[in-house]
Amino acid sequence: MTSSRAASSATGSIYDLGYRGYEGPRLGRRHAIRALFAHSLKVCYGIGRGGRAKVAPIVLGGFATIPAIVGIGVLALARQLGAPSGVIEDASPIQHATYFGIIATLVMLFCAAQVPEVLGRDQRHSLLSLYFSRALRREDYAIARLAGVVAAILLFVLLPQSIIFVGFVLSAPDVAAEFGKELALVPPILTQGALISVLLGSVSAAIASFTPRRLYATTAIIVILAVVPVVGGVLVRLDAPTLARFVALASPMDILEATNAILFNTTAGSEVISEADLPDFAYFAAAALISAASIAILVRRFRKIAA
Amino acid sequence: MALISLDALTKRYGSITALDGLTLDIEPGIVGLVGSNGAGKSTLLKILLGLLEPTSGRATVFDLDVRTHGTEVRQFVGYMPEHDALPPDSSATDLVAHLAEMSGLPAVAARERTAEVLRHVGLYEERYRAIGGYSAGMRQRVKLAQALVHDPRLLLLDEPTNGLDPAGRDEMLDLVRRTGAEFGMTVVVASHLLGEIERVCDFLVAIEGGKLLRAAPLGSFTERTGVLAVEVEDRAEELAAALVERGLEARAASSHAVLVALNDDRPYDIVRDLLAELGMPLIRLEQRRHSLEDLFRDDPTETAA
Repeated sequence: MTSSRAASSATGSIYDLGYRGYEGPRLGRRHAIRALFAHSLKVCYGIGRGGRAKVAPIVLGGFATIPAIVGIGVLALARQLGAPSGVIEDASPIQHATYFGIIATLVMLFCAAQVPEVLGRDQRHSLLSLYFSRALRREDYAIARLAGVVAAILLFVLLPQSIIFVGFVLSAPDVAAEFGKELALVPPILTQGALISVLLGSVSAAIASFTPRRLYATTAIIVILAVVPVVGGVLVRLDAPTLARFVALASPMDILEATNAILFNTTAGSEVISEADLPDFAYFAAAALISAASIAILVRRFRKIAA
Repeated sequence: MALISLDALTKRYGSITALDGLTLDIEPGIVGLVGSNGAGKSTLLKILLGLLEPTSGRATVFDLDVRTHGTEVRQFVGYMPEHDALPPDSSATDLVAHLAEMSGLPAVAARERTAEVLRHVGLYEERYRAIGGYSAGMRQRVKLAQALVHDPRLLLLDEPTNGLDPAGRDEMLDLVRRTGAEFGMTVVVASHLLGEIERVCDFLVAIEGGKLLRAAPLGSFTERTGVLAVEVEDRAEELAAALVERGLEARAASSHAVLVALNDDRPYDIVRDLLAELGMPLIRLEQRRHSLEDLFRDDPTETAA
């Protein structure tokens, strides 16, 4: 009875209240860029999308965070049981300096899975003409999309680092002293986080912008990020230090491993890096150069693309 | 002040010329942009939006050059593209609200305007469903809604009835007409279907091969009713000559067809009498619907064959 009434009122009457114009503020280009940045960040984590879009970010994010939580739990327990200071901390693989090595593959997979979603979706569904016919420029579109991707990767990398930070401080017998010690590590953590997100974000975005096909983009990103270091490893075995140098400076993952070692004052495990034997600044210069080139390619792509 | 002003606007794609020195002023109102496929309609709209760079010439909208003031112009322009341009996995509400923000509306206003505009296009009940499950008619309405959501001063619609059934066409055209009339918005409707354009517009611009054929109020186009095609077995030239002798505009299109300009009812009687006189068997007598070509030529019989 009630349901049939509801149905008839749902289909039976359309209230024509007339159209009203919009007299409110128009915030223009800057607002559009900010909103597009926020939208890109959300797309990276599947927010506002169906359940399937959330699977990859949740699974990868989970795998990237769980070791930090477990490591901190073990540390807290050990400290509670009165383990001598420093012993458990040094033995645990869960440290600020080593964590990038632990999640490097996950960060790469996150880029390969999510960046094509941000850069390829609008091309796949011919949405670019709807964006470019609005209050932003083609360059703005490219930069806002990239910024969202970079912010998403930064979150991905910094979340476990924050957990480690908080865990170390709160489980310490002398909280104030531990806080001071941890605080000294904040600059390298942030620098490395910025390097990871800008370098991997811009490289992945530039690759993903060239195809509306998700699978192609994902494959290409994995090839560039994961296969190049393997090739480098093989070349090193063949005893070719010049080639090792080249690979170390051309492979984003090798560059990031090297900067991590430099920033946290440890030694990089990769054979390519030890074989290349390059000065510290070379890696930072390579990171800057590759990022800049990728951003230029990305912007150029959206400037030229038909819409 | 003209709302849109084109000055020798030219666009070439390699060796193909899409727009060829188009010079034209468009005043506020509902304007039909007609031309066959490939006449340059979509190219013109895209240049006005800054989606395409003209090869040469100048286009201004609201007295602003679209090349140098693109973002300012586009804040006040709505565009409904010809092709399908909707993500299947978003809802109409999410998509339209997001695009409203891309036009510079604050987030809260974008949501409010989205609800209002979706109601205006008749999509209120379905607005939270994923677009992937929409019919062709609903998809066209979403495209119209996203073009309207920021309350533009100029609305550019590229083939708004594309892919719709007759009932859907009627509804869409009615929506376009109401939008233009009630909101006092200037609407440019590009279409290759003159019959549709006639029903909504008060000004017509016809282009062909990138050149302007004619731009005039709709009334001046409808004065001439069209062309009468007379199909006979043979001797069409003889019939045509006889018709011209009786003071009609007539021309033999082939050996068995004659085209007669139809400005009033007189030609029907004359054709009938002449056929009887000449003893010619009549195969078919047909009043041709307006085709774009015969409307825009000064001599309607010239190209109607």
